[in-house]
Amino acid sequence: MTAPTTTTGPGGDVTGPHLTDADVVVVGGGPAGSCAALVAARAGLRVVLLERGPFPGSKNMYGGVVYPRILDQLIPQWWTQAPVQRWITRRSTMLLTDTQAMSVDFRSQAWAAAPHNGATAVRPEWDRWLAEEAAAAGAQVVCSTTVTGLLRDGHRIVGVRTDRPDGDLTARVVVACDGVNSFLAKQAGLYEHADAAHYTVGVKETLALPKATIDERFNVRDRDGVDIEILGGTGGVNGGAFLYTNLESVSVGVVLKVPKLAAQQRRPEEIIAALKAHPAITPLVDGGELVEYSAHLIPEAGLAMMPKVVADGMVVAGDAAALCLAAGIWLEGVNFAMASGMYAGESVVEAVRAGDVSETGLAGYRRRLADSFVLRDHRKLRRAPSLVLSDRVQHRYPPMIANTIERMFRVDNPAPKPGLRRILAEERKRAGVRVRDLARDAWDAMRTFG
Amino acid sequence: MIAACLKWSAATGGWSAADQAALELGLQHAERTGTDCVAVTVGPAAAAGALGEALACGASRAVHVVVDGDLPSWDTAVALSAAVAEAITVWCGDYSADRGSGSVPAYLAALRHCEQALGVVEARPGSLPFEVLRRLDGGRRERVSVTGPAVVSVEGAAARLRRASLRAQLADHSARLTTVAGPPADHLDAPVVAYRPRARQLPAPAGAVALDRIGAILHSGTPARRGETVELEPPAAAAAILDALTRWGYRAGGAAPGGATS
Amino acid sequence: MIAVVVVRDGTLPAGAAEAIAECAGRGLLVGTGTPIAADRLGGLAASLVLADTAPFRPGAYAAALAGRLAGEPIVVLPASADGRDLAPRLAHALHRPLYAQATRVEADRVEVVRAGGQGMQRVSPGRAFVATLVPGVRGVLVDEARPVSVERLDLDLVDIPDATPIEVIPPDPSTIDLAEAERIVGGGAGLDAAARFSQLGEVAAAIGASVGATRVITDRHWVGHERQIGTTGVVVAPQLYLAFGVSGAVQHTAGLGHPEHIVAVNTDPHCPMMQMADLAVVADANATLDELCRQVGR
Ligand SMILES: Cc1cc2nc3c(=O)[nH]c(=O)nc-3n(C[C@H](O)[C@H](O)[C@H](O)COP(=O)(O)OP(=O)(O)OC[C@H]3O[C@@H](n4cnc5c(N)ncnc54)[C@H](O)[C@@H]3O)c2cc1C
Ligand SMILES: Cc1cc2nc3c(=O)[nH]c(=O)nc-3n(C[C@H](O)[C@H](O)[C@H](O)COP(=O)(O)OP(=O)(O)OC[C@H]3O[C@@H](n4cnc5c(N)ncnc54)[C@H](O)[C@@H]3O)c2cc1C
Ligand SMILES: Nc1ncnc2c1ncn2[C@@H]1O[C@H](COP(=O)(O)O)[C@@H](O)[C@H]1O
Repeated sequence: MTAPTTTTGPGGDVTGPHLTDADVVVVGGGPAGSCAALVAARAGLRVVLLERGPFPGSKNMYGGVVYPRILDQLIPQWWTQAPVQRWITRRSTMLLTDTQAMSVDFRSQAWAAAPHNGATAVRPEWDRWLAEEAAAAGAQVVCSTTVTGLLRDGHRIVGVRTDRPDGDLTARVVVACDGVNSFLAKQAGLYEHADAAHYTVGVKETLALPKATIDERFNVRDRDGVDIEILGGTGGVNGGAFLYTNLESVSVGVVLKVPKLAAQQRRPEEIIAALKAHPAITPLVDGGELVEYSAHLIPEAGLAMMPKVVADGMVVAGDAAALCLAAGIWLEGVNFAMASGMYAGESVVEAVRAGDVSETGLAGYRRRLADSFVLRDHRKLRRAPSLVLSDRVQHRYPPMIANTIERMFRVDNPAPKPGLRRILAEERKRAGVRVRDLARDAWDAMRTFG
Repeated sequence: MIAACLKWSAATGGWSAADQAALELGLQHAERTGTDCVAVTVGPAAAAGALGEALACGASRAVHVVVDGDLPSWDTAVALSAAVAEAITVWCGDYSADRGSGSVPAYLAALRHCEQALGVVEARPGSLPFEVLRRLDGGRRERVSVTGPAVVSVEGAAARLRRASLRAQLADHSARLTTVAGPPADHLDAPVVAYRPRARQLPAPAGAVALDRIGAILHSGTPARRGETVELEPPAAAAAILDALTRWGYRAGGAAPGGATS
Repeated sequence: MIAVVVVRDGTLPAGAAEAIAECAGRGLLVGTGTPIAADRLGGLAASLVLADTAPFRPGAYAAALAGRLAGEPIVVLPASADGRDLAPRLAHALHRPLYAQATRVEADRVEVVRAGGQGMQRVSPGRAFVATLVPGVRGVLVDEARPVSVERLDLDLVDIPDATPIEVIPPDPSTIDLAEAERIVGGGAGLDAAARFSQLGEVAAAIGASVGATRVITDRHWVGHERQIGTTGVVVAPQLYLAFGVSGAVQHTAGLGHPEHIVAVNTDPHCPMMQMADLAVVADANATLDELCRQVGR
């Protein structure tokens, strides 16, 4: 849907002050959008933030852990105001087979103190808080408003059309933060490829439990919390699972490859039910009362599917730019969204001040992304999704490792203890793993995570 | 003057579906009778933004009675009644989402000494008198006529709130918003705890032998096999179902349901 | 403690018996046709006051009843439409607090529902009050041998501004709230097209039932969410449930109540819905529906 606007004469300069309704229109009140709006509003630009939900964050879901350190640059002492459930002080990586479980458990009490590392937070609270920060900085936040199209003048993007009556809004720059599968980035022709193979679906249940019960089961006190990432709990569908502690509830969920899920014809809730029934998980979640069930798409392949992030008059940030890291046991997106939103905001301010909002004028955005952890982490971990979600890592290694360890710990008297090397060789064969593949995967893992 | 009473919800940052319907019908009534519609809320400072939306939708004025916390229904009604004193009709939602007693509208009617029509599912408000349809239980409806000043409470499905234009939404509404201080909030309310159903009194299960009765109690609520399984071609399947329905008294000329003929 | 029950043409409102039982069998029936209504309370009520008067008007009833009830420290009304209409007016006329949507009413302990059934509050009244009792939460026991004493009360309505009653419209199964429906025809993922739900509607119409569905169906937008039966949909309590292509997942059946009669049509004889059924038909639900429509159409 393109509508010519009346704000420009032929070849005229649409970027002159006050010829447009706003300097910046930010679409989407998620973490990316609010950070972009906050930065632009603080610089004194006229900013309108449009959100389709009844309030920012109302419909947004995720696993449950944020890594907010990027906020050090935006909101001093953010940890004193942020709506946090618990601070992560224990991080556990768990490997599950049908009957076995193996964990690598790490605990650092340092993370319980400012400036912290990760935190569990509830998105409606977190996103609303960030949007309120943007509003306090002067951005005008308009909810229950869906952007339905871009306004163009030739190839330049000069505003958005919304579903409200009299709903066109012109702006010098549009910041698209409309989340995964971005409608705006597609409209602008920035996505070349987007097929189902690159998406995972995330499904989550929130189970209410008394705080004392959570503290006891997860072995934590006060505001300390736990983040458990699970490989192999997804019932034959490639993916990962997670279990996080909120203050008075736990979040348990799975992240599943879309094509596999479709091929197996299984409903995600069945897979969660099976996960909850696993002997290693049941004691943690037992008796929890279901308070929320939600599902959402995740762009999985990071760099591989990243669209162009700058066009004439528009920049794209957050999940809309596929800046989410979802590699089985990694699930980071909010931090990338907040950072890319912030960089988008800074670049827009720079471009508006310089009077050039063309692709060239906005090029600072791409540069900021490249110089920061946003693209560096993505580049570093670009092989992670395909490795972690591969059939071998998903279906063959977990039983191989778990069986090996089980036999190591098993006391089979009167049989003497077998040597580890022999067990490993036997279990590798039993799992149908070839030495060559094992070596290659180990090499890939070294290159990816080393 | 017409009034719409809207309770701001912290959970959604806006109005419940029922209150949105109340605002829409209030606006319609004002338009049809050529008068003003004022939106009133008793609530915390954070509710001001949502009142801006009511103004953007076409309310001529808004009154914000600022209270810090939740008020009991009676005190809410007292606070509201001052603001709606001159209204011909006061439109409310049938239940608020959090307190949910549905009693504020009736209290308002009592305080104003006026008519009430609660639980309305259909209304076309115009000049007095006008008719509304309200829900009774068991699926019945009652048609009543509103003849004088009245408080009407409406269900969420009674009307769909119009959408404010983007321009109206972006405009500055502060000139039409009156803010007044409300009574101190009640902090003595008992805490809200998770809902626990009460044990229901049920007739003792039938069964001559004590063991059967125990079995019936143990298995209630769990899928216990109770009837026959038949494998049939579709025409025979349909006939078998109709036959069972007839046997159980659900078909054929008003036989009482629930096994009258079995 | 006394229950106040509004009667329309001899019809008792939802929750009338429970309100009277909560008050140890003491009730005041007010409205039209109260003697007929009283007959229906045999085995439940111990003492009844019958006030036959003009059709229901909340303001006028409250004003007229206030004098008679002033000596009753606890007044309980069923939280039915008319009960909710009258209770606040009565509380106002009696200068008492109202505990609306209670699940338990005792002299020193009242429990009320909050947040649409998600939460509850316990209060200790400590003085005279009015309460409304949520229908269905309590249950009743009938004792056929229980004697009942009946007293008549003349009630003169004073002129208080009230909306004017015009007519009561009988229930229409197609618009009836699913929660109130006594008979429900439900469809699940075994049905192959949205149009199957029109067929379900035909069958439902033929037996005076409402149409319900599983979440799989409401997720597909084949019917509206208000038709979803289950824990995250509508909790229903029908006498008769016909399930077409429904597996009977616990989230579905947990909201189904305890129907007296269940018919299930499913290709899988072992699924929970079939296990619960009085008549479990192993057949293609779609073809069976075609046939049923044909046969009820005749
Ligand atoms: C199951 C799951 C688990 C996850 N777990 C984690 C985790 O534990 N930690 C983590 O850091 N990340 C996690 N993520 C990723 C994280 O949720 C995302 O990366 C992050 O939300 C991206 O933020 P955003 O602002 O770009 O987009 P979003 O948060 O998706 O926000 C987009 C906003 O735009 C609005 N919008 C969309 N279209 C329009 C339109 N047309 N008009 C107006 N408004 C519109 C939406 O309503 C929404 O508010 C998880 C994701 C999923 C699905
Ligand atoms: C948190 C949560 C809340 C939920 N809340 C609800 C809720 O409120 N209500 C609800 O209903 N569900 C709810 N669910 C979903 C629930 O778990 C089930 O997934 C759902 O009820 C299954 O619906 P179904 O029976 O239609 O589908 P399925 O389970 O897929 O069953 C379809 C049935 O049709 C049968 N069938 C297939 N083909 C035919 C044929 N040709 N003829 C006859 N039979 C056939 C199959 O044998 C099967 O038994 C919830 C789930 C979760 C996780
Ligand atoms: N604080 C409030 N401010 C404005 N209107 C209210 C308030 N509380 C209740 N109401 C109105 O009364 C209706 C019923 O609320 P309640 O009696 O709390 O269930 C609501 O839908 C509103 O229309």
